[in-house]
Amino acid sequence: MPIEVKGLTHVYMPGTPFEARALNDVSLSIRDGEFIGIIGHTGSGKSTLIVHLNGLESSSPGVVFVNGVDLGLKETDLIAIRRTVGLVFQYPEYQLFEETVEKDVAFGPRNLGLSEDEIKARVADALRMVGLPQDVAGKSPFELSGGQKRRVAIAGVLAMQPSMLILDEPAAGLDPAGRREMLELIKGVHDTGVTVVMVSHSMDDVGRYCDRLYVLNRGEIAWYGTPAEVFIHEEQLHEIGLDVPECAKLARRLRKSGFDIPEGLYRTDDVCEAILRNLRKGSDATC
Amino acid sequence: MLKNITLGQYFPGNSLIHRLDPRTKLLATIALIAIVFVAQGFSGFLLLAGFVVACAASTGIHLKFLVRGLKPLMFIILFTFILNLFFQTGGTVLISIWIIRITSNGLRMAGFMAARLILLVLSSQLLTLTTSPIALTDGLETLFRPLQVIGFPAHEIAMMMSIALRFIPTLMDEADKIMKAQKARGADFETGGLIARAKAMVPLLVPLFVGAFRRAEELALAMDARCYRGGKGRTRMKQLKFQGIDGLAALVIAALLAAVILLNRLNLF
Repeated sequence: MPIEVKGLTHVYMPGTPFEARALNDVSLSIRDGEFIGIIGHTGSGKSTLIVHLNGLESSSPGVVFVNGVDLGLKETDLIAIRRTVGLVFQYPEYQLFEETVEKDVAFGPRNLGLSEDEIKARVADALRMVGLPQDVAGKSPFELSGGQKRRVAIAGVLAMQPSMLILDEPAAGLDPAGRREMLELIKGVHDTGVTVVMVSHSMDDVGRYCDRLYVLNRGEIAWYGTPAEVFIHEEQLHEIGLDVPECAKLARRLRKSGFDIPEGLYRTDDVCEAILRNLRKGSDATC
Repeated sequence: MLKNITLGQYFPGNSLIHRLDPRTKLLATIALIAIVFVAQGFSGFLLLAGFVVACAASTGIHLKFLVRGLKPLMFIILFTFILNLFFQTGGTVLISIWIIRITSNGLRMAGFMAARLILLVLSSQLLTLTTSPIALTDGLETLFRPLQVIGFPAHEIAMMMSIALRFIPTLMDEADKIMKAQKARGADFETGGLIARAKAMVPLLVPLFVGAFRRAEELALAMDARCYRGGKGRTRMKQLKFQGIDGLAALVIAALLAAVILLNRLNLF
């Protein structure tokens, strides 16, 4: 089991009037090659959760295992863990600091102590993976557009060649086209065999790409399962400030008004097909 | 969002001292500091210490937070204590080893200076623990307003202070985030020599400065958009107003001063 979290609880500033419980008894497990979505309202604890997954934070009670290694132990080599679990923060473009794109992307591999040739190859690979042309390598990251900067930042993490990639709201603040491209990029990374955990609050996005979802509410896991299993709780999701994909809503409403549409549909294509089936049946009946 | 830091040291509360006008608290703190210097004996210090502790207890703030403020100054307090202990002469000799000579006067002076410093820190702590930074700058602005006649930019300084205070938690938050992000890329901030560590700060400081400038620009634009043009003719939503408890505080401070002067006269210990 690549990532296993058991009973994780995190309290901010314990013992002061500012004490706040960000995570409460959270358990989850992520298998190799999965595409996991973590969804939740602002302040639900998503961001606190993911910094535990590569040992940037540790809390007790609770344990986090990565490939069977307990991150809470003193002797655990956290650098090795961070090489395995790549973490892309929200708005990662604000972390760029080097003079050139190439140097910035090389920061991670250099920290791993790789040879110059290896670093060069990895930088080129990473830039290709995020769809940036090789000629931006020599430019300053500060003269790129917002979307390009974000790609550079993601390339900086990919250059470490992690086997698991965690992304916090990777599509936040992008226009619809940029959003789609970003998500396709992540899907492309997943297709190369990398386990992906994506934090989001867009149900449409996680519904389209994720194998399984975890819904966080007030620091606790409210529901988890396949998108179809989670989207059944439409009303309760609504109550905690979340939504279900537009297509799931449509399918549900049609089903309620008597159309023959199976439960748990949320993908545009599936819903389309079900509606078409209904229409054909309808036209057969009238003929 | 949750933040893992305190702004200044302010502890929110609703005690009598919390509710005092910030101007009263500022003036009372200045008065209290003056009284600490007026006191000439340990009896006066004892009274003042009792007063500060009673005030702190009445605010519901745990004493450990009051004491925590002493930590950064511990070195200075210890330093003056030792300096006075060894270099004051007069009185009876208590210990004499080689050229080191500790006299009763030295011991008394050392204890006196240390007690004075501790009291000074504690009384100013009381102000910062019970007053939000925004209220504090508001208070300062009104107190300094008379100086505008001689060209002192009271409003501008208060505005700069409140902006700086407003952005401390934001920048701390951002520094924390950037640090985590660079750590996720294998950066090492903790080990290595001085030069290695200074170099390791570059990936943190560059994005932090870029972010600070970006924020400053955005803030200037936002202020412009809302027609900010300095303090002239500016009214405020929350008007500071002296109330009954402020008068009471003035009386308490006056009584404290009288008591300390009386103790000085009595010359108890």
